[in-house]
Amino acid sequence: MLFFRSEERAAKWCEGRGVPRRPLVTMNQLWKLATTWYATRLEAVARRPQASEMRALFASIGLDDDFWDPGSDRFG
Amino acid sequence: MFADRDLGVKVAIYGHFAETGRRPEVVDVARRAGIDEAGVVASFQSLRAQRLLLLENDGRSIRMAPPFSGVPTQHLVEADGIGYFANCAWDALGVPAALRKPGRVHSRCEESGEPLDLPVGLEGPESSDWLFHCLVPAAKWWDDLVFT
Repeated sequence: MLFFRSEERAAKWCEGRGVPRRPLVTMNQLWKLATTWYATRLEAVARRPQASEMRALFASIGLDDDFWDPGSDRFG
Repeated sequence: MFADRDLGVKVAIYGHFAETGRRPEVVDVARRAGIDEAGVVASFQSLRAQRLLLLENDGRSIRMAPPFSGVPTQHLVEADGIGYFANCAWDALGVPAALRKPGRVHSRCEESGEPLDLPVGLEGPESSDWLFHCLVPAAKWWDDLVFT
């Protein structure tokens, strides 16, 4: 899980390593993921999101590809 | 002290990370949680099984207590005068989110090496056109969390 300066930089990095390009996420989308995942992490009541909650979270910010589905078997 | 030992250990681990920016040793967790070291090590294994913690091979050293990293990484977050290493780009924003404090994320573009210096407030990062890329599909994240 890495930062890139631009879409072109991410594409070049993937091409150079012969790995597939994945969906790119903006900083605002990433903040939504980070706060949902971690906002209560220091508290006793904190718990990891369950699969259904993960799907709902990703979908809520437009990440609805199978890539973001924790139950997907598309990737072997 | 918590009635649930694992919960007490988890809170102690995160409390130490938040206060120091560094991973606690078993003895630190024992003191903070008010239990013996054997109990701490047993809880480390339990928390690992619950995917809340990643341990080094010795079973006693914390590699990851997401979003915090127990070892130095390329993702450094400064908040309230303390430096925190994050496990990945996602966790770099996760540190100020977990601390509920403004911070500053220092990282880099993985392709060009260009430095990233991103202020993050309580409502989120300053406007930025940098991007986040995850190579591993969500269904595989825990197969190899260090690689992910």
